[in-house]
Amino acid sequence: MDGNRLWRFHIPKPDWLNSQYMRTAGVYAAGGLFSLGFFFFLDAAVFSKTANASNIHIKFVDWIPIICSAFGMLVINSIEKSQLTSEAFSPSRWDGGTAWKARLVLFLGFALMAGGLAGSVTVLTLKYLVPKYPFPTMYLGVANVISNSLIMLSSAVLWVSQNIEDDFQYNLSL
Amino acid sequence: MAGIKTIIGLSFILAIGFLLVILSSALFQNYLPLLVVATYVLAPLPNAIAGRCSQPDDILGDGNGGGIVDFGRFMTGFLVVMGVALPVLFAHCQLITVAAMFMSIIGGLLIYGTIISFTMFFQEETDF
Repeated sequence: MDGNRLWRFHIPKPDWLNSQYMRTAGVYAAGGLFSLGFFFFLDAAVFSKTANASNIHIKFVDWIPIICSAFGMLVINSIEKSQLTSEAFSPSRWDGGTAWKARLVLFLGFALMAGGLAGSVTVLTLKYLVPKYPFPTMYLGVANVISNSLIMLSSAVLWVSQNIEDDFQYNLSL
Repeated sequence: MAGIKTIIGLSFILAIGFLLVILSSALFQNYLPLLVVATYVLAPLPNAIAGRCSQPDDILGDGNGGGIVDFGRFMTGFLVVMGVALPVLFAHCQLITVAAMFMSIIGGLLIYGTIISFTMFFQEETDF
């Protein structure tokens, strides 16, 4: 483990993070954060239909960033993470190994997620900030950014929790 | 240890929870908060299904059932937060009143707490 270390500063994980209990709690928390983000945007959409006094409504353009974020999260967390580091066992890099495929798909997933967040900021700016709408209308754009950020946070929490599992299994098999 | 008193207490709490949710919808002639009951009844289901699909015995198996178990937990977290977020959404969009929101949230949490504590109390009879 110490032989092929990449970074010079080795910061050991704290013990409370390295337990099966924290991993389970992290997966539950990721689901809750995703739900919070999704319902933030759904709230904006229903608000624009019911209690909205202005002429500005949620259209399909507002839905595109959250669709990108959710799809990116699905892609990132569907990858078998042990494939990412399997390069050390194969003699050649392009020898039909699956590591580079996994990295390509992972890159696409991260690009989708970052594109979702950037797209939500774009929608907020172009549709709501530039025409200078007052706040109950502005909420439709702000909720979009909040929900995309929450989905990104949820994906990060899920990623970290699943890496805890890898360390746990490593300790078991040792 | 979990005797007849636990069953009676849990059923009382379940009844109070259902009372609060039904009251929150029937008092205002608006039956949208009943969706909270559906959410909380569905909430333990993903964990149960995922628990059946995975084999927890194989340690060396490369996480065969791990993905499914994680997905079940993810969906459980999603549904639990959904049960709170749904009444807040309805109240914010002025579909239900704020009083109905509080009643349905408290009632839903009581129902879900009953389901969870029931499975925790009576787990040892069924497992292994």
